[in-house]
Amino acid sequence: MTAPALTLRLNGRATPVAGVPDDERLLDTLRWRVGLKGTKEGCRTGDCGACTVLVDDRSVLSCLTLSHDVDGATVTTIEAGAQDAEVARVVRAFAQAGALQCGYCTPGFVMALAGLLKERGSSATVEELLEGLQGNLCRCTGYASIARAVQRVRSEAP
Amino acid sequence: MGAVTPFALRVPATVEEAVAELRADDGRPTAVIAGGTDLLLDIDDGRLLPERVVSLRRLPWRTIDWSAEALTIGSTLPLRSLEEDRTLRERIPGLWQAVHAVGSVALRHRATLGGNLGRAAPASDLIPMLLALDAEVDLVGPGGDRRLSLDRFLVASRRTRLERAELIRSVRVPECRPSAYLWQRVRPANDISQIAVAVTYSPSARRWTVAAGGMPPRPVLLPEVAAELGAGRPTDGVVRSAAERARREVALASDQRASEEYRRRLVATLVARAVRSVTFEERPVP
Repeated sequence: MTAPALTLRLNGRATPVAGVPDDERLLDTLRWRVGLKGTKEGCRTGDCGACTVLVDDRSVLSCLTLSHDVDGATVTTIEAGAQDAEVARVVRAFAQAGALQCGYCTPGFVMALAGLLKERGSSATVEELLEGLQGNLCRCTGYASIARAVQRVRSEAP
Repeated sequence: MGAVTPFALRVPATVEEAVAELRADDGRPTAVIAGGTDLLLDIDDGRLLPERVVSLRRLPWRTIDWSAEALTIGSTLPLRSLEEDRTLRERIPGLWQAVHAVGSVALRHRATLGGNLGRAAPASDLIPMLLALDAEVDLVGPGGDRRLSLDRFLVASRRTRLERAELIRSVRVPECRPSAYLWQRVRPANDISQIAVAVTYSPSARRWTVAAGGMPPRPVLLPEVAAELGAGRPTDGVVRSAAERARREVALASDQRASEEYRRRLVATLVARAVRSVTFEERPVP
């Protein structure tokens, strides 16, 4: 079954996407129809957080989200880069803290943290931000450098 | 792309349309989707093979209503919205702890209370807490509206008393109570509790309630353990004997996540910790 085209406000631009099957996940629509490969497929079971993107400024697992269920929504991915203040801020902090090794989990961490900053504003403590990242797995860093990136984001509040 | 079962998605705009859509299944396997964080896993693994999926996303059920004593939660409210409610943590701390225990932040932005109850996973973090709060489930369907206690609504693992074309509209917590929810897992996030304990104290009725979850076949109320706690603040000795009663008498089994013996030790520890962590003002006896 193929439903009518859906429209996403994707990284600030109205983006119609045609031919999306009813059962397709946002992860696959982003990667294979739109061609934005920054969003990663890790476990595909909601356990690793690598596929995290923002829908209406809130973090979601794109592997467990039906594309048609977010028709009309604002979707933000790692490709937003400098266009999105929080994404840009988190990317800068990750780079300065050297908070990545292989980099596969990084887009998910960046989007999860950017989402927390949007959701909680400047009120969130470092501990709350770290706790909010518990759904993201990293097999390389041991998390110490990621924790330093979180501290950096907090201490360099805009 | 991943191997998924193709299905047709329906997105009804009203409750009436949703019920009509579910009735018009012509015998084809049909599933209901709210957030989808649990349903889509079963579809991906082939445990469910729906030909039609009815989405509730346009229904007006993303609500949270506080009255003087009761809380009514719309079934499609994302769990994160409930968690972020300004007064939940203060008025029903155990329910806040249970919601906070589900999955991860990103999962809770999609997952819903209706989905959690309708899917009736044996390891649900929300069900034991809502059982202890004496919650009720409001249903809407072809036969009209009805209300069931959550305890009666649940049958077994993944089985409820929902009838064909019936939907969960909302969940009602009749009384805001001092409460606590404690769990044991391998990982703090995105993991399933091996055992969990929910307790509440009703200052008006001067009684405790205790429930356990995380084990098959379904979360259960533990009235004998609650009765052991008596009325008011129990002494250390009473807490210890209630915990011992939980260790001896709760129906527990071994499965891939924990052995029966481990669960027995933990249920006692968690009952004692949970009761001690509940704070309330003693009301003077009239």
